[in-house]
Amino acid sequence: MRKAHYFLLLANLTAYSALALDDPIRTSRADNQVVKIENGSQQTVSGTVRDDTGTALEGVSVTVKRTGSGVATDAAGKFALEGVEPTDALVFRSIGYQDLEVEVAGKTTVDAVMEADVAGLDEVVVVGYGTQRKSSVTAAISKVENKNLDQIPVGRPELALVGRLAGVNISNTRSNPGSAPTIRVRGSGSISASNDPLVVIDGFPGGSMSSVNMNDVASIEVLKDASSAAIYGSRGSGGVIIITTKKGTVGKPQLQLNAYAGVAEALGHDDWISGDEFHDYVARYMNREYAWQGGDVSIPLWGDDRRPPNFRVNPVIREGNYIWEDILLRPAPMQNYSLSVRGGTDNVTYYVSGTYRDEQGTLLTTGYKTYAFRANVDAKLAPGINVGIMVSPNWADRRTSPVTMEAIVKTSPFVSPEPYPDGTYPRPLDYWGNSVSGQTSPLATLYGTFNTSSSMNNVGEMYAEAQLGKGLSIRSSFGANITYGIAENFQSASATSNGLNSGSARDTRSLNLLNENVLRYTNDFGGDHDFNAILGASFQKATSRTALQTAVAGSFNNETIRTLNNAIIDPSRSYTTKSRWGLISYFGRVNYAYKGKYLVSASFRTDGSSRFGPDNRWGNFPSASIAWRVSQEDFMQGNTVISELKPRVSYGVVGNFNIGDFSYLGTIDDVYYSPDDALTKGWAQNAIGNGGLQWERTESYNIGLDLGLFNNRLTMAADYYQKKTTNLLYDVSVPAISGFPAALVNVGDVRNTGFEVELNSQNLTGVFKWSTAFNFSRNKNEVVDLGGVDEVINTHTRGMAWILRKGEPMFSFYGYKLAGVLVDENDVANSPIMDGSKPGNTKYADVSGPDGVPDGKITPDDRVILGSYLPTMTFGMVNDFSWKNFDLSIAMQSSVGAKVYNLENLYYQGATVSAIRRSLVENQWWSTAEPGNGKEPATALSQLAWVSNSDYYLEDASFLAIRNLNLGYTVPQSFSERYKINSFRLFASISNLLMITKKGFHGYNPEGFTSGEIDGIKSMPGFNNGSEPINRVYTFGVNVIF
Amino acid sequence: MTRTIVKQLTKGVLLAILLAFGACNNILELTPDSELTEANFFKTAADMDGAVLGIYSNYQSRFPRDWTISEMLSDNTYRTGYFNIGGIDELNNLSITSENPLFASFWQSAYQGIFRANSVIFYIDNPTDYAENQQAQLTGEALFMRSLLYFNLVRVFGGVPLVTSKLTVEETYGVPRSSEPQVYQQITEDLKQAIDLLPMKAAIAGGRASKEAAVSLLAKVYVYLKEWDEAKTYLDMVEGFNFQLEPEFKSLWSISSENNEEVIFAMKYLDGENGQPLSTDFLPYFGVTGISSRGNENIFPTWSLYKLYDDGDSRKDETITPYWKSPNSPPADPAVWYPFVSKFAVQHTPNSSGLDLPVLRYADMVLLKAEVLYYLSQPDLALVELNRVRERAFGNEGHHYTSADIASEAAFLDKLLLERRLEFAFENERWFDLVRTGRYMTELKSVERYYNPSDGSVQTVQLNPQEHHRYMPIPRSQIDLVGPDVLQQNEGYN
Repeated sequence: MRKAHYFLLLANLTAYSALALDDPIRTSRADNQVVKIENGSQQTVSGTVRDDTGTALEGVSVTVKRTGSGVATDAAGKFALEGVEPTDALVFRSIGYQDLEVEVAGKTTVDAVMEADVAGLDEVVVVGYGTQRKSSVTAAISKVENKNLDQIPVGRPELALVGRLAGVNISNTRSNPGSAPTIRVRGSGSISASNDPLVVIDGFPGGSMSSVNMNDVASIEVLKDASSAAIYGSRGSGGVIIITTKKGTVGKPQLQLNAYAGVAEALGHDDWISGDEFHDYVARYMNREYAWQGGDVSIPLWGDDRRPPNFRVNPVIREGNYIWEDILLRPAPMQNYSLSVRGGTDNVTYYVSGTYRDEQGTLLTTGYKTYAFRANVDAKLAPGINVGIMVSPNWADRRTSPVTMEAIVKTSPFVSPEPYPDGTYPRPLDYWGNSVSGQTSPLATLYGTFNTSSSMNNVGEMYAEAQLGKGLSIRSSFGANITYGIAENFQSASATSNGLNSGSARDTRSLNLLNENVLRYTNDFGGDHDFNAILGASFQKATSRTALQTAVAGSFNNETIRTLNNAIIDPSRSYTTKSRWGLISYFGRVNYAYKGKYLVSASFRTDGSSRFGPDNRWGNFPSASIAWRVSQEDFMQGNTVISELKPRVSYGVVGNFNIGDFSYLGTIDDVYYSPDDALTKGWAQNAIGNGGLQWERTESYNIGLDLGLFNNRLTMAADYYQKKTTNLLYDVSVPAISGFPAALVNVGDVRNTGFEVELNSQNLTGVFKWSTAFNFSRNKNEVVDLGGVDEVINTHTRGMAWILRKGEPMFSFYGYKLAGVLVDENDVANSPIMDGSKPGNTKYADVSGPDGVPDGKITPDDRVILGSYLPTMTFGMVNDFSWKNFDLSIAMQSSVGAKVYNLENLYYQGATVSAIRRSLVENQWWSTAEPGNGKEPATALSQLAWVSNSDYYLEDASFLAIRNLNLGYTVPQSFSERYKINSFRLFASISNLLMITKKGFHGYNPEGFTSGEIDGIKSMPGFNNGSEPINRVYTFGVNVIF
Repeated sequence: MTRTIVKQLTKGVLLAILLAFGACNNILELTPDSELTEANFFKTAADMDGAVLGIYSNYQSRFPRDWTISEMLSDNTYRTGYFNIGGIDELNNLSITSENPLFASFWQSAYQGIFRANSVIFYIDNPTDYAENQQAQLTGEALFMRSLLYFNLVRVFGGVPLVTSKLTVEETYGVPRSSEPQVYQQITEDLKQAIDLLPMKAAIAGGRASKEAAVSLLAKVYVYLKEWDEAKTYLDMVEGFNFQLEPEFKSLWSISSENNEEVIFAMKYLDGENGQPLSTDFLPYFGVTGISSRGNENIFPTWSLYKLYDDGDSRKDETITPYWKSPNSPPADPAVWYPFVSKFAVQHTPNSSGLDLPVLRYADMVLLKAEVLYYLSQPDLALVELNRVRERAFGNEGHHYTSADIASEAAFLDKLLLERRLEFAFENERWFDLVRTGRYMTELKSVERYYNPSDGSVQTVQLNPQEHHRYMPIPRSQIDLVGPDVLQQNEGYN
């Protein structure tokens, strides 16, 4: 704390001394000056600036060479410049284009066509608390500009980035409308604290990407290495995603419309069976079961009392031909309209926008709707003083399914979807009172369940910025992230299997307040030196409150009113809770470049968090990085091949504080007992206090190389990194005699090592243009230390386990290796078996025994690591083509090496007479006479323990996908201008055009799993039981600029 | 003008920084709004009362699933095709390993309860606002529950680590197993103390420990220790408490009559709000009309058990229902032979039944007394006690055992164990009765599971009970944490 005082004092002193300067306020020459009309020889020159495809260019700086005064073009590429001499020359400059000089030569209209500058190295990259030219960046930062990203028909902005950034794995584990994808930057390092990256929206740390509308996004930067993320200190360990929204520009108002509509179609399975084929597989299933019990399978399947009821097969199941997947999934319309206006004067600029999008889910009744607004206003209060305000309220409505996919698509094919005259839906039990699933009709479940949620979110910020002296400025901002969420659930009696209606309502609200003050200093010391530094202090405080009310089951008087005033509130399931956290930070950074060749950057941040005990509150997060622009050296001048060569090295430390708000305290929780039959609250300690709890630290090294060839037509950024997370916040098992299974402590290390490459190539630059952006990432995750134990195993009820073992990736699958099936008694007698095995059970690989060598028996010693849910490699490639007025963009993604435990398959293999998939049963063992292919064991529900503990359900989830194809046509300007339209582009887009998975992969979505990501010691990542199908989405749209 | 603005603005910013700085403690020094902590709890009598309820709450949640060990090991049950509790099948087949998750969770839960009891005892002197006798009562309750938890542990595992105070996490790595006698020593001492501290049942809320409960438990403990004289002393004390056998066996298993004169100590449940899953656990998957819309169908009763019930024994139909018709199945469908355990089948919310579950009931005391009297060489008196239970079951004296039935010790044990089996089926007594009498080595060799009434065939399984099955293995995960030199495994396991 004392250190922090000192730091702040320093910041204040600097600020005061700046004030004390006699005349510290000088207007920078960079400030735009209004060009005055002085005499007749001067004139106003106007024109339009386009690129070589004819697209109007916005934001191009147009200056008079002689005076240096200038303006920027508006969204239609237009500019008007006053006070120009007929003999003047105009200079056009824009990032990404070659500078252009045009002689006015007495004309009043000067149109310009700018050539793209393939170099692209001087684009501006947003870093924490500032921006940098890409050429002077010393860290590993990936950037995506919003070109066509806002046309990709996805509900959340993260999904548009899939496959576009090396080292950033965005996977959509659930594809129901509005669900959040998982983002991992360079792998996962933490067990019990979150691995999510920090999202910084226009400088506000801790926002949610769901609150951002892609249409408003200018660019997205990802700070991947610790040296760039360290400026966010305690929250940087998962990487930092910086979202920069569009700002206003000087000029007359520009209206821009982006609208598209389309339809989504779920990519389902094609091997469901029905009728006789279904009946016959059920008969095989029942006979197999009966034979194991010692029954005589020659007894007729139906109508013979000698066959016990559990092993009979009712012929009614031959009837009906209902493929429930087709019944439950529908083509779902989606539409999106975004309208934005931007403009401004020299003193005030604004960007305002509104978006409405409506996306129905392909699963009946589900859907996601958002309404979003944004206003970014910046004003120049006086020379050297800027203020601004930003608000971005948005509202989202979502309706989700109460059940996962496998629970409903497994509905038997003999069950009709047609309701009875009384409006209720047939259930399997109505056809056959035994052996079948006890579920209600999925239609009753979906139509009768109203799981709706609404959320309001606003990230707002005000700032003031003042120039204090030459190169010295201070910026102070106040921001707030206000969220409000409502989740209302109602389930009618007909939708449940217990016949009792139910309901609940949950309200959550949170207020996250932030004050940041940053002092900034820049100086070039007259040429060869380029120095800038920041010094800042940040104060953040968050409060949240949750209120839940739950109805007593069955207490709704009627089902017309679904709010809780129509029910009796259950006091034991109704409550309010509050929580808080706070963070105080002081930070500083210096960047220094000598002659634009030798680049050095160093930062330091110290954070104090309320989430740790008083003695461990403060953590320090230093970083440093250097780079050498070899290509700027004299000896490289004249080299026609290498245009850019920059090796970089960086080191940094970041932290993770994503644990519960008061995890360091031994908290006491309420528990219940009912003495004298009266529900009474008691108390019990639910966690061991640990005052020593502290930051999880991630230390990382990054070695990178930026390379540009052939005048930067081909650029490459390659990075090798090693990231070691130590002091892992981790719920380590403790002896149960402590009263607790585990305690949150700082113990253990995890290492992520990886390599990633981003390549950008302008393959063709003529009339037909073709560019390719390619990225490749490889990450190796490895548990290094677990604090005294070599491994921690979490075994699921069904036998598969997830293991943390030194030297292996976190949460690797751990179980028995399948060697085949025990085809008959002879095979059972002559194979290493698990006690009690019988024909049809799994033949396991005997890999070890008590002495470490195969012992002819299958025991827990034979369990091995079977793979990991993490891919070993990912690829992304975006190809952009353009020819005359046409443009085409194709985004592809591939992932290799991940595995998914598709336990859901068992539901499609005959259990409870549910729907069957042919590919899952045709090769399996049914009897010694029908042994299948000898590789697939019997998967009866009663034998599950013999199957699900092996890698039988573990499937290779590698895939190659064409994630998006976007074809556009820009109406010729000559035509559109007749309608006062500056630019008019039509486009058609298909998402998930192609998804190729490995043979033997049976899930809907190779990235799909339902158990959630790593979240504590009991995590089961890669466990899939009912993840939704992915959708192919066809859309048509327009982009219009007025 | 400009300068003024700049100055004002800059002052404003600096003021803001100072304000924020002043709020520094507000940002970092936070206390939870909605959670109690060790630092601010255990201060008042009400806190301590709540902490005692926390011990019961622990027992209340574990107890309904004790059958996963004590019944699965016995010859009363076999698992179904629908079972969804990992580990029960292995126990049922006597393939017993230290990795079975049921032992780990049983161990974990028992020590959680012991921790809560120890916390109460540790902080009991903190509050100053106790009502008269309240401190004694709360201490007695904590001691009683701790004894009960150790009794559960010692019956399953033999000697276990004896924790009777609050330990730091570091300390828990160095506590070895105490011997079985040491654990029993602690149990009997604690119970004697509890008897002195606890109020009579009538003076304390139902479902909480009473003097009667402590006396009864101590009597049972002495029977396990085969200290017959001590056992008799406390069983005689029980006689003085006016408990009686319910006239109807079935009224023990009905919510309307669950507070009856036979219950000595029971776990209390409330349907839907604070319920138990046991009523659902044994029901057919599709539920039973008028009972529950679904069942967990984890186990079926064995034919070995079912065939032992004589017709006319009121416990037969109360314990097992032989025919079943799926609710809402087509009306024409007949009921099918589908024996399921219906002892706890009251109408209930699935997995949250309101039926109380007796931990100690008087019938147990009666049969324990028969045993004690027999071993104190009073077989005639033992016969009287045995027949009290039998008479209640049949509603008449026509099925009484005679002296000839218990002519030898083996014959007496046969009848005693039979009666205990019929009376306490699925009440977690069978396995422990078999072990303490040594009968498990013979009784479990062969079990008749499924009986097919259409052809009279019986599915019989052969099992291989081992001497070392007397004790269950210490959970492997616990040994791995502290090392085998601190926590020794029971013989026969690794």
